[in-house]
Amino acid sequence: MEQLYGIFLYGVFLLTMGGIYAVLTLGLNIQWGFTGLFNAGVAGFFAIGAYTTAIVTSAGSERHLGGFGLSPAAGMVAAMIASAIIAWGVGRICIRLRADYLAIATLGIAEIFRLVLKNEVWATNGPRGISLIPKPFEHYAEPWNHVGMLLLVFAVVAVLYVLLERARRSPWGRVMAAIRENEAAARAAGKNVERLRIEAFVLGGALMGLGGALMAHHIKFIEPNAAEPISATFLVWVMLVVGGSANNRGAIFGAILIWTIWSAAEILIARLPPEWAVKSAYLRIFLVGLALQFILQRYPNGIFRERRFRTAPSSPDREQPP
Amino acid sequence: MKRMMIAVAAGALAMNGAAASAGDINVGSAAGVTGPIAELVVDIVAARNLAASHVNEQGGLLDGDTYRLVQGDSQCDPKAAVDAGAKLVNVEQAVAVIGPNCSGATNGMAQSVTIPAGVVMISDTATAPSISDLDDNDLVFRVAPSDAYQGRSLAELAWENGYRKLAVTYSNDDYNSGLAGVFAAAFTELGGTITGNEAHEPNKASYRAELATLAAGEAEGLALFAYFGGSGITILRNSLENALFGKFLGADGMMDNSVIEQIGADNLRGNIMLSQPASDTENASYQAFAAAFENAGAPFVAHGYDIAFLAALAIEKAGSADRGMISAALREVANAPGTVIRPGEWAKAKEAIAAGEDINYEGASGAIEFDESGDVAGVYSLNGVGDDGTWTPIQ
Repeated sequence: MEQLYGIFLYGVFLLTMGGIYAVLTLGLNIQWGFTGLFNAGVAGFFAIGAYTTAIVTSAGSERHLGGFGLSPAAGMVAAMIASAIIAWGVGRICIRLRADYLAIATLGIAEIFRLVLKNEVWATNGPRGISLIPKPFEHYAEPWNHVGMLLLVFAVVAVLYVLLERARRSPWGRVMAAIRENEAAARAAGKNVERLRIEAFVLGGALMGLGGALMAHHIKFIEPNAAEPISATFLVWVMLVVGGSANNRGAIFGAILIWTIWSAAEILIARLPPEWAVKSAYLRIFLVGLALQFILQRYPNGIFRERRFRTAPSSPDREQPP
Repeated sequence: MKRMMIAVAAGALAMNGAAASAGDINVGSAAGVTGPIAELVVDIVAARNLAASHVNEQGGLLDGDTYRLVQGDSQCDPKAAVDAGAKLVNVEQAVAVIGPNCSGATNGMAQSVTIPAGVVMISDTATAPSISDLDDNDLVFRVAPSDAYQGRSLAELAWENGYRKLAVTYSNDDYNSGLAGVFAAAFTELGGTITGNEAHEPNKASYRAELATLAAGEAEGLALFAYFGGSGITILRNSLENALFGKFLGADGMMDNSVIEQIGADNLRGNIMLSQPASDTENASYQAFAAAFENAGAPFVAHGYDIAFLAALAIEKAGSADRGMISAALREVANAPGTVIRPGEWAKAKEAIAAGEDINYEGASGAIEFDESGDVAGVYSLNGVGDDGTWTPIQ
């Protein structure tokens, strides 16, 4: 019984983390899936969101800027605003770069953010990070504290899903697809391509900031190591590509699937004899690579494919624009 | 799609089936096995496992139960540490958790997993002062002293050895930046001058530019806070090759024989001083540990052994694998007074506990007396390169 209860609690943790990654993946999906912006700097926006909420909600400390004592909800809104403003600034500078050049630029910018956060010790406590970040529902008795956090994350994901599905079907969403598929044609049709690309970049950046804020509240602590590219950028990319880019359901499913593989693999690895355990920890990275290979061989467009618009009245597709 | 779901579900079921068998008592062993300090962690994990095998060879826990350390990879990243902790506490039903490495990982795992679950955590490497501030219901312990002790102690030792002007450089990570900050403040307070204080990023091929800037201050020596493998050896080499600095001070992150092997004993003899917990080397507990473990002098290895041994003692003292009783028992077995138990003396400890005696574990890393916030005080010695080409205490 205790064993089952433990597995239930682990499941709650697993889905909470998977849900937070789903928020990041939905953000990346707006940028890459819908609009074709190759943002390799997810970790940067993640870090800005996480640090913003950490500073505005954590208790005062002489070690870092803070002590504003706002609620986590206010912290999340502040995180989205801060990431959106920074995404706008970055977008103004880099958005005209072609796909792979944009990737290099954003990768560099994310590292700059991480290093600034690491070195501006007066505000962020440098490499020692910000502790004692409040967590929603933490004063409830177990398991309701963990379940409450999970429900909050799921509610955020559900609201984002509904809004993004509406956006995708709207004229705005169709212009984004047009820009991705044929920028010259979109421009010729009189669309302000730069402006629309910045809009997608800002919206995606705001969601990444929200994901960072949720993570900071979930783990109650933030430090620069938490925004390393491997777990905050590349893992998110793997999730989106596996789930199916340009499909919101795919983004959510990919995040939860890959996080489950990443996390649960360790339970198997912990069964190995202790003298192997140190080396076998690297097996997890290998396993994610293997899963990526396997899934992409079987589903070249991700598990959920993009649902395309058809305008011909004879089409049986349910996805007709309104 | 459906087939894949079934495969995932089947995998999950198989994992549940493999969970702890009867007669095992699980303790989580969280370590930064992958990530930035992976090379230090290999020996720390080996030392923890050595403690577990000492326990199991000498009668095991309670009624002959096997003491099983279940490894979790905390990656030196709080996100990963929370995930690893959730598995150890919930799936593996760990009675207590030892580790994780890195202060950030410890902070995240303690606050979001082990404290809410009421599980004791004993870290071997977390040194950040912020860990003392956690509202932990007496559940978070550590055997590595907070940096406040080591930085201050090294500053005093430097002053006593006649240093008045020093340059400081530190690897920009949680451990070394904290140490450097305390060191610089304490050295200035004593009346010394810090001619320059620069962070550096670890794992670069060369530090000539940073060192040249620091050397312009004409300091008498360089206080170097780094891990030997990350940047320490490279900085020593660059400094000596370019005649930028000739004298060095440092902390236990540099204390490894590979430093002497790569730089050369003759280049370092008389020119380098490293601080280390004082009870080491001459202490009977340390020698008992060093006789059983090859690389006993490496950073935090003795601490790793101690936390694994302490967790076992606390379970034995509590008399059952009950999470709620570990915290009080831990304090009793670690703190004086009582029959002194040294590393490896599991049979003796088991007998004493069975006889109802109070015991006092004197660890390989120090006497280990937990204070109210679960911290230990640190007393430090200075080490240099001896005539035989190994690290030897100077005072």
